[in-house]
Amino acid sequence: MTTPSHPASAAAAGGINSLSDTDRTRNPNSESSTLQSYQHLFRPGFVHRRLYVDEQIFHDELRYLYGRTWLYIAHESELPQPNDFITRRVGGRPLIITRSAEGKIHALFNRCTHRAAIVCREPRGNAKGFICGYHAWTFNNEGHCTSVPLRQGYGKTFTLASTNLQHVARLDSYRGFIFASYSADVPSLSEHLGAAARLIDQWLDRGEKEPVVVRSGSMPFLVHANWKTIYDNAGDGYHPPFSHESMLKMFARRYGDVDMNYYGSDFDKSPMYSKNLGNGHTFLDQRPEMHKLSAWKRQHVMPGYEAMEKALIERFGETRALAMLDTATGSGMNLNIFPNLLIIGNQIQMPEPLAANKTQLTWFATTREGAPEEINAIRMRMQEDFPSFGEVDDSANFEACQEGMAYVPEMEWIDIRRHHDTEVGTPDPADHLWREPMSSDLHMRTYWQRWQELMNAGATQALKARGESS
Amino acid sequence: MSKKHATGTTQFDLGFYDRMAALLEKWKHLGEIPVDQIPSREVIDEITRLLYLEARLLDQHRLREWLALFSADGAYWIPADVDYRDPRHTIAWEFNDRRRMEERVERLETGQAYSQIPPTRTVHLLSNIEVMLAEDDTLHALCNFHIQTHRGHDTQSRCGWCGYVLRKENGHWKIMLKRVNLFDADLPQGNLSFTL
Repeated sequence: MTTPSHPASAAAAGGINSLSDTDRTRNPNSESSTLQSYQHLFRPGFVHRRLYVDEQIFHDELRYLYGRTWLYIAHESELPQPNDFITRRVGGRPLIITRSAEGKIHALFNRCTHRAAIVCREPRGNAKGFICGYHAWTFNNEGHCTSVPLRQGYGKTFTLASTNLQHVARLDSYRGFIFASYSADVPSLSEHLGAAARLIDQWLDRGEKEPVVVRSGSMPFLVHANWKTIYDNAGDGYHPPFSHESMLKMFARRYGDVDMNYYGSDFDKSPMYSKNLGNGHTFLDQRPEMHKLSAWKRQHVMPGYEAMEKALIERFGETRALAMLDTATGSGMNLNIFPNLLIIGNQIQMPEPLAANKTQLTWFATTREGAPEEINAIRMRMQEDFPSFGEVDDSANFEACQEGMAYVPEMEWIDIRRHHDTEVGTPDPADHLWREPMSSDLHMRTYWQRWQELMNAGATQALKARGESS
Repeated sequence: MSKKHATGTTQFDLGFYDRMAALLEKWKHLGEIPVDQIPSREVIDEITRLLYLEARLLDQHRLREWLALFSADGAYWIPADVDYRDPRHTIAWEFNDRRRMEERVERLETGQAYSQIPPTRTVHLLSNIEVMLAEDDTLHALCNFHIQTHRGHDTQSRCGWCGYVLRKENGHWKIMLKRVNLFDADLPQGNLSFTL
């Protein structure tokens, strides 16, 4: 496990912040079919294009990275009733996530123990069990095989229990966020989340603390880019005024000094910051600007802004209504939990790798259980605005990056140097976690360090297993 | 008084959402159009011409003229579900009031909206047009659409049906609502930053 620290202190471990001469002279563009270290794909402040475009590395990632760490798989509120289920691919693997009649959550590989067919082919529903469409092998929602047709054909020693659906190796949850690991050999979830858990608390415990509900639909974006091209952006505090200039310009022209206008000057001098939470997790904190006064009052308008504000003030009085609206406004937090949970504003994003150059980025909308209808309607219209006016431009930039990485082998390196050498980072006085200015590439350097740890350990283990079997 | 209130709108209050819920119920269960709700041939022709004009303006990127086809309380809606879910607690790809539609056009006009540089080329094809009389002197029009698109290296088809609510203002039909129902609205979507 990494401990949060200045990335330079990890130099001894090699990677982005250090490089031996042997690594420097090795040709990173050359393909290698044998298991190998990925060290030669990193230089201080730079990562190699192959990490984003190479099919072999993509397949290695599905095994060594997605197969060997905690992944966010669902939110408990997606399964409100006994026998509810959803199906979803996470880290490539098709899963059935169920709530049993007793209310317990299970995560099963959606793969028949017989001929590997996908057993449940519906996205969601309520069912006590699942019947495979091929030979009608039947399983209950806890994974137990309950029926195999013409069973005598498997002989006298056959037992149904030997053909149960396979559970994920580890399953745990933190305050409604369900995580799974496909390998048993991982630390506890709380160890994995580390400092990120406290920020999940802060995200959940805003305002009147009604439970967060993730049943309000989603926007699944299909992006023709590597999952890391997207992941890079989740902690890129440098791009907003440039990538989103059209949006910021339009809002400023129409409404003056509104949300995100603080990106108009040297925002590295602002109290916003980027932070290394350890284990590859990172945090961008825009709250010092966005929630400095009233986030609602400074929010650009959205459909229903005036009508809902008026209705809420009539019902609850101005002070309470405005406090409610402040916490319905985006959280000002970008909490990135490596490798597949991105909490942004009031949404939950899951990047799902589909191919080296293809990713599904799903934005799950959230409402608050028991909050006034006006608040939830406002939350919906507000959660539509950035995807519509901002994410579309981000996606266009991700695809432009991917094209450049894929088709110009003469230019090998991707620059993640920002604030690496400026020596302006400091430990946070409150928790001693490492902080850098908002525009830093600290996020990228942090998760790439974790990427290398997982991938090198996975490759080493696979090599060892191969040696033992030969 | 801040600018935001000067351009304010009374739309998208709870009453508006109630009307949307009633509209969705009606469209979801619509069978044969009752004879007494079928408008005159002349009105059907007027509506058909309006829909074809809208398609042509969109294909030519004439978004200011497109905006002018909407009423002052007009709305543009692209759900992200195919189940007629209540928009009070369901996210949409777009659910714009008139003001947000203007913001959309203004953003594209900055020349820095990178998802539309270069712009998506489109051809809108409309079919299965049905028009019916509705409450308060409004009309409903339904049609199927096929939008052939090209951007970057990518040629794609977008399909579905549109539901319109229309009202006559000063002798001209205006669009009060355009609901664009992609048949795959709940599935992964590529670049949706053009105007559907």
